[in-house]
Amino acid sequence: MHRSTRRQFLGACGALVTAALLPARAFAARPRARAGDPHPEPRPGITGAKVATREQLAGKPKLVELFDSVRDTPQVIDGIRCNCGCARTEGFYSLLSCYEGKDAMAKECVICQGQGRLAIRLHKAGRSLAEIRSAVDAKFG
Amino acid sequence: MRGMPNHFTRLLGVASLVSGAFASPALAQVRASEIGTMSQTIDGTHITMTYSRPRTRGRDPIFGTSAANWNEVWTPGANWATTFEVDRNITLDGHPVPKGKYSVWFVIRQSGDWSFVLDPRWHRYHMAPPDSTTAQIRFIVRPRAAPFVDVLTWTMPELRMEGGTLAMNWAKTMITASIEVQPSLTTTLAEADARPFVGTYDYAELDSTGKVTKTSTFVVDYEDGTLKGAWIPRDGYFKHFALVRIAPDWFAPGVYDKGVIYEVLRPDMTFEFTRVNGRATSVVLRDEDDKVSAKATRRP
Repeated sequence: MHRSTRRQFLGACGALVTAALLPARAFAARPRARAGDPHPEPRPGITGAKVATREQLAGKPKLVELFDSVRDTPQVIDGIRCNCGCARTEGFYSLLSCYEGKDAMAKECVICQGQGRLAIRLHKAGRSLAEIRSAVDAKFG
Repeated sequence: MRGMPNHFTRLLGVASLVSGAFASPALAQVRASEIGTMSQTIDGTHITMTYSRPRTRGRDPIFGTSAANWNEVWTPGANWATTFEVDRNITLDGHPVPKGKYSVWFVIRQSGDWSFVLDPRWHRYHMAPPDSTTAQIRFIVRPRAAPFVDVLTWTMPELRMEGGTLAMNWAKTMITASIEVQPSLTTTLAEADARPFVGTYDYAELDSTGKVTKTSTFVVDYEDGTLKGAWIPRDGYFKHFALVRIAPDWFAPGVYDKGVIYEVLRPDMTFEFTRVNGRATSVVLRDEDDKVSAKATRRP
């Protein structure tokens, strides 16, 4: 049977007291991106290493190609603001964030998917990041 | 607690006292006229009203009684004055309202001509109505009869592409005012800009594999300064819709109701035209996830 040790007990008490003494703004969400905000600048050296893998897309085979394309184009996708609202989530930086991790928002959100597909399509057509941002703004802004 | 050392028991007691000291008191603060908010975004303009919401408590009528006397400067709420906040310039019943926060007041008159007053001194108690100043925005509104509403309620019951209707209901009285925002899109297009797209197109709807599921005719025309589209036979919802330009050769459908566009289906539907020698020769319809759901080719 699991029993709390004295150290665990005191640690929990300390955490409770600390939480009670923290200013409320410590828990407040920071300002978040929304439609109309500037696009983020691609982070130097950004990679697609965190983009959800084929295995993490189990049950969604139609999304594998899109996620693979995003993984191969991080320098573009990281320079685009997401307009669906998920960019308001703590820790999100760009549209690339929507495709990262096993719980990637873009697995479910057609807006994240649409912006990704549009960006990839225009990138393959030779459009610049500025032109891609304009197109994303025109359709999703 | 059998098996638990005494000093551990003492610590548990101390911790209970500490946690009790930091616990919130019970938030039993039920009160009359609870505070509510109404918030609406229209084309990027955010409008928020905050107000205490009185009940009729059996009082009907309300206006012209001790609850709200004729000629009284009355805030349509209770306690602290109702506030109206907007983050871009708008017009209210045609009167310019600069972005900012205002207290809201009505001057209620038996004649039926009520004054709608926005005062930049927004933090005022209802017992201290503002004096008349040139900084106020004032215009006449006319109350009308409406179904009974027990709790005073502000809503936006109608929305359009470029605005909406603001409404206050209480008891059997309703006040409305039209809001117009600064539009981010325009529905008008110079004839020279519209001409390359005007024509008749053979239209094919596609399934997710690209297979044609249905064919029809798509007509693009120019009417009253607006590029418009329609399927033949006409779709019961879209009818003769506006093609609202969002990029040089991209358009989103704007659906009319009673002669005004009340909804632009962006990003749901985007018509992307392709030009050859300046003239549109084909168009694809992409949905919100950028997949092609239809394609059309101009008839020779």
